[in-house]
Amino acid sequence: MRRGERPVLQLPWPLLVGFVLFFGIQLFSHSHSISGFSEKYRPLAKPFDSTIYRGLSMGSEQLFSYLLAIRLQLHDNQAGRHIRYRYIDYRILINWLDEINRLNTRSEYPMMLASRVYSQTTDQQRLRLILSYIDRAFMDNPQLHWRHLAEATVIAKHRLGDLELALEMAKKLADLPESVVMPRWARDMQFLLLGELNEFESALVIIDALLKSDAVNDPDEKRFLHEKLLLFQQKLSETQHN
Amino acid sequence: MGSQTISLFRYLMLGILNLRLLALVVILVALGALFSGFITELAIINSQQIAEALLADILRYSLVVLILLVVITNVSEDFQFRQFERLLTMPVSRWQYIVAQFILVAILAGILCLPVFLVISLSASFELGVYWAIALWLEMMLVGLLGLLAILSLERIPGAVFFSLAIYLLAKLSGLISQMIAESVRLSNESVASRVTESIFNGIMYVIPRLEAFAQNDVFFESMDLFLVLFNQLIAIFPYVLFLLGACMIDFYRKEFNL
Repeated sequence: MRRGERPVLQLPWPLLVGFVLFFGIQLFSHSHSISGFSEKYRPLAKPFDSTIYRGLSMGSEQLFSYLLAIRLQLHDNQAGRHIRYRYIDYRILINWLDEINRLNTRSEYPMMLASRVYSQTTDQQRLRLILSYIDRAFMDNPQLHWRHLAEATVIAKHRLGDLELALEMAKKLADLPESVVMPRWARDMQFLLLGELNEFESALVIIDALLKSDAVNDPDEKRFLHEKLLLFQQKLSETQHN
Repeated sequence: MGSQTISLFRYLMLGILNLRLLALVVILVALGALFSGFITELAIINSQQIAEALLADILRYSLVVLILLVVITNVSEDFQFRQFERLLTMPVSRWQYIVAQFILVAILAGILCLPVFLVISLSASFELGVYWAIALWLEMMLVGLLGLLAILSLERIPGAVFFSLAIYLLAKLSGLISQMIAESVRLSNESVASRVTESIFNGIMYVIPRLEAFAQNDVFFESMDLFLVLFNQLIAIFPYVLFLLGACMIDFYRKEFNL
């Protein structure tokens, strides 16, 4: 049975006035905290160790790692605004990516965030940090991460303009054993970059070795390599004549 | 004996099954689906798998709490309305009440797992739906019996809920707690106090279910032998369920009722 209630207006007036007053204070304090919050950028906090996250996940480690990655991804959206990447401390960001990677080594989410999201920064120093993270984390699982290193190679060449770094990363892709399944173009990046660096002799040696090995079976791939071989031989002879 | 136990179970079950429970389950499933759908919008890759795993975990935790509250409230009402005194004046043994409650927990967990099976089968795959429903059924059996033991011992709802949830969370967070204790032993240069704490915790772990006793959420992200995972869970749960039933029997037989 429902208990009877007295009408609100029959309550003692100090109680009503006090309630309205406290309610007003609550509304004011909330609106004040929102306006204060929107003006400030909340920096990225340092992550805990991955073993702590593993314990907190209560057995759902992989799900927890994805949720942490999404939480990190949402950090640059604060109070309905997109925060520029130059405000983010990339060293802490890389710590986060490392811990998420350790929590779930079978996920490519952290590498994907690094190569597609955080590589969009216009700050060269931050870009170098994120590329070095990709370069380092790639070795944990080359089969899973080769495409992110390939993307990092392109970014190093075009966005950073550092052909040496791009070549270093492309060499890691080219040197991967055949057991790592990936398209030929990823392995071919090395000699293409050597061509760009005017290192035609090195590029010619690599193409020649590729053509003589059993690694290339596709006729289109062979034709492409022959074309590049001729082009580089021509450029090399032009260089020698000059 | 058997027919009396079944009659007792049916009597207890009638007190639980109602439209409000059904509506609550529907609301929980709908909220879980909405929230996991929201996460799907945020994730850049693997969004489907993340949403399925999240939905499965939301349903797991909400239904575990639900069955715990239902079982505890049900037995608490028996204490409150002096049903035990009435039952014991009839030709019904105390063990029959415990067995009836066990059947009730099993059937109720099965009923609550049906919508989970449908939702996971539709959103993920039939195999995952079957796995998650059975694994969750086993987990809910475990928690339901834990709740039964807690309310029979403590006789009060808040204490029983707190105790059951504490044991459940302790089991789930055992890895983290043992890591913290090990770290505290190291930082205190292996002091006697920290060593004693570690020994006590290690002792408690013997009467806490292992992590294998719970449904494994990682099945949503990698291909596993689902049958083997379920078998391991069954192996981990079976002795613990027997232990809980034994504890319930001893506790219930020890109670004095004014007939």
